Parts: sequence; structure tokens; C-alpha cells
Amino acid sequence: MNNAIEVTNLSKRYGDLEAVRGVGFDVAAGEVFCLLGPNGAGKTSIVEILEGYRSRSDGSVSVLGMDPADGQRELRERVGIVLQSCGVQPDLSVAELLEMYGRYHRTRRPIDELIELVELDAKRDTRAKDLSGGQRRRLDLALALVGDPDLVFLDEPTTGFDPAARRHAWTTIRALCELGKTIFLTTHFMDEAQFLAHRVAVMREGRIVAAGRPEELGGRELRPTEIRFGLPPSRTLADLPELPAETVALEGDRVLVKSHEGVLATQRITAWALEQGIELEHFTVAQPSLEDVYLELTGERTEVTA
Amino acid sequence: MSTAVALPTRPASRGASLRRELGLVAWQVRYEQRAFWRNRARSFFAFLFPIMFLVVFASLFSGHKLPGGGGISYNDFFVPGILAYGVIMTTFVNIAVSTAILRDDGVLKRMQGTPLPRWAYLAGRIGSAILITLAMTAVTLAFGSLAYGVRIPTTTLPGFALALALGTACFTTLGVGIVRFIGNAEAAPPIVNIAILPLTFISGIWFANQEMPHWLREIAQLFPVHALADAFQYAFDPRTVGLGIRVSDLKTLSIWLAVGVFLMIRFLRQPLGEGG
Repeated sequence: MNNAIEVTNLSKRYGDLEAVRGVGFDVAAGEVFCLLGPNGAGKTSIVEILEGYRSRSDGSVSVLGMDPADGQRELRERVGIVLQSCGVQPDLSVAELLEMYGRYHRTRRPIDELIELVELDAKRDTRAKDLSGGQRRRLDLALALVGDPDLVFLDEPTTGFDPAARRHAWTTIRALCELGKTIFLTTHFMDEAQFLAHRVAVMREGRIVAAGRPEELGGRELRPTEIRFGLPPSRTLADLPELPAETVALEGDRVLVKSHEGVLATQRITAWALEQGIELEHFTVAQPSLEDVYLELTGERTEVTA
Repeated sequence: MSTAVALPTRPASRGASLRRELGLVAWQVRYEQRAFWRNRARSFFAFLFPIMFLVVFASLFSGHKLPGGGGISYNDFFVPGILAYGVIMTTFVNIAVSTAILRDDGVLKRMQGTPLPRWAYLAGRIGSAILITLAMTAVTLAFGSLAYGVRIPTTTLPGFALALALGTACFTTLGVGIVRFIGNAEAAPPIVNIAILPLTFISGIWFANQEMPHWLREIAQLFPVHALADAFQYAFDPRTVGLGIRVSDLKTLSIWLAVGVFLMIRFLRQPLGEGG
């Protein structure tokens, strides 16, 4: 089987609200696929349709060759789910919960291995209600893996994590990927999508507005290089040399140069600065960030007035 | 997609898969039991609360005769009444409140995403509630007999056992069924108590209801609280002859059991993911 998930023309309506409007995508087996979008873009509706929690209004959906709307037990045997916020039996310990949920499955991964994977060794006999938020989230992940699934759904797996815990979770998710699992991820963090996903689909108001590898999303690799620096008080924009650039403008107290010939433009600017004997503060050369592309695509860019 | 090739499912015989699922139910009962006894607040309210009432009331009225009761002792009346209250606590109240919490915490949703069939999960929870009810019954009877000299039914045991079985079934299913009328878990204790407490007062659990207005007794008789208490009290009454079976009470319990089963099936079919 080549595709773990196939979605064609999927729609979901809640009364008058059209949360998902004709969405289509495929996820290859072994791939990490990410739905990226702001809250309310329709990500959770799609995930929960794929997981079998919600019915669809229109379109066709195939998950591991099955229709999740049929509620087949076989599908639940082979899919692991990490929901956005979902409790567990509070009075059972980590090891007991893994044992209990493991019994529901035909095939299961060893409990010790799972505990090690999510690094809850020290919390093995701690009751679920006494775990911290991050530990609970790691338990969620272990519980999703207990049946040795082929496909794992992760709905905003790191929301509410501190930066260190997020990095940590990413490493774990990467490790899953190396186990050959297909991973379907939703997030509203650009860096998460960039770090984890092989392919990203950006959603806005129920539609996919862009899809592709993170580095080429929204034609990112085709966009001009952005060069930023601060000028000393003695110089103005007019003093700069001729540059191969689309834009040369002030952005706050910095100069922003956008150029398709980034190397040449950089060389001209630095040569000029050296020749003039001046220091350019905060000199940076960058590709437009995924964040810029994302904000543009999702229409969330708000002009920052300095 | 309907064109996709269905994956080969393991060719298991019907008998083998049913055996496996019953095994899962048995395991689920064990996990539910473990969780129940570990949660002190929960086990106190469901299990010890009725026994505490027994001690308080029996101590207050020990040695008294039941007014208008034809000379039977207060304890012979009160122990079966408290037992009925205990059954309602360990089944109806316990199941309704804990299920509402599990639903609001998303545990039911999580369970729905596992291969465990929904009926098997529910059966595990019900099985656990029945065990708790039986334990509470045994402790209440032992206590009533040893400390307050209550006569344990012998010839009337069939009547008592039938009422216990039917009452447990009735209040268990009603406990599951009422969950859909409970908006959120915080509202669960007040809602189940509003449903139960007034009925206990007019159903002759705390005091004999012979002197109550006729119309109030007629209302009480429509509900299963009265039926269960009355069936127990009849079986415990020293003057009762025969098997101690009160047909009218069992009939009322059966009707409410049918209501409970209907509501429980609706609960089983209700999707948990929609609209959230």
C-alpha cells in the first residue's frame, strides 16, 4: 500500500458553518504529514473525521484502506490517537494504564519499551492524576503507541509545552518516524511543522491554501533574500550604492533589502561599508521565514507599527 | 473509499472472539475495581456512606418500636431501608457521577478510539458496580445482624434476592441512562441527588411513611426507590410468611429496568466526538 491516507473533496458542515470546504490530500506510508493552520481553520475537524470521531458531510476518506465512518475495529487496532485534551483513568498508574490499554489490542508493544521511549521511567508507578501536564502528554503518546499502530494521529501534541519540552517531544516524534510509522500531525507552530514534517498543508478557513515540503512552501525558495542592517546616524538610504534589489526600504530603524541576487547584493553592501569605514549593526541575511509565508497564506499578517 | 481493498481480518471463530471479549470484560472489571477502591472519596461515598447512616440511625432508635408498624422493631424496618439506599448509592449515584466525570474528562472519547468495543467497556464498569453493591450488601447485613440484632431473611431469602437482583439491574441501567441528561460533571451530584433524595423521604427509607398523605404515597409508589425499599422491608418483616416476594414491587422495578435499558442503549449509540 502506498498511501496511508487518501482524502478527496472532504467537507464538513455544522449547521450553517462550513468548517471544511472541499479538502483533498494524500499521505504516503511512512511519511510525516502536517496540517498547519490557525485555530478554527478546520484542522481538528479533519483529524477527527480521519479518526472516526466525526462524520463527514461530503467527500471520500480512506485511512489504511478503510472508511473511518464505518467504525471498524480493525482500523482502531492499527491507528494510534493523541487527542488534543483527553483524560485517562486518574487513579491508575502509568504502568497499569499501559497494561490496560494494551490488552485491548491484538498486537502490543512491551510496556517497558514504551515507558523508556517517552521517558517516564521514574513515574512508572505514579498515578495519572499526579503527573504534570507534560508527563501526562507523554503518557498520551505512549498510550497511542501501545497497540503498535501503523498510523499515529497527533493533534497539536506540544501545545502548552515549554521550549525544552517541545524540543524533547520532537525528538520522540522523530524516533517514531524512524520506527516506520506514518504520522499525521496538526499544529499551529511553524517551527514544529518545519522541524518534523516531510510535507505540510497550510489551512485557512476550511481550505488548503498551500501544500508542499516546508522549504518550498508558498514558493518560499523562489522568494527574494532579505538583508537587514542598521545604518550609523551619519548615513541615510540615499548614501547606499546601486543594488540589484526589488526593495530597499526602512523597516523601523533598520534597512531592509529584498533581492533575488542575494550574494551580489550582500557583497555590494559589505564592500561599501568597508570602503566607507562604517559598521553595519545587526547585519543579517535570511530567506523569508516559514512564519512569514505562513502568516501571508493564512491572512494573519498584521502590520506592526514600530 | 469504497474502492479500496479491505484488509484481511483475522479469521477467528465467533466463539473464540466472544471468549476473548468476555476475558476483556473480566479484566476491565478488575481495573475498575482497583481504581474504585484507590479513590478514597469515591469509595467512601458509595460504600461507607450507607453504612454510616445505618450506625447513626440504628443508634438513635435502638430498642424503639416502629410507630404504627404492628410491634416490629425499628431496626427490622430501618436496615432493609438503608440497604435499599445503599444499593442506589453504589449503582445509580456511583455510576452516573463517575460516568459524567469520565465523559467530561475525555476518557470515554479515548476509550472509543481503542479496539475495545463500547459494550465491553460498559459491561466492565457495570460488573464492577455490581461487585461493590454485593460487598456493601454483605457488610450492611453483617453489621445489622451483629450490632443491631436484625434478623437475616431465611425463608424470605428468595424475595430478598430477587429484589436485590432486579433493583441492582434497574438502578445500574438508570445510572448509565441519566448521564445524557447531565450537562457537565459538576452538575452530576446535585442532579442525581435531586432525583433520589426527595424520593427516599417519601418512600419510607428514613422513617415509616404510613402516616404520610395518601397522594404522596401514591406518587412514591410510581418510582423504583419505593419499590426497592418496600420489597426489602417486606422480606425483612418478621411477620412475612412464604417466600417474601412482593409482586407489585418487582413489577415496578421491571418497568423501570425497561426504561433504564432503553436509555442505556441510547447512551451506547450516542457519538462522543460530534459537536465538541
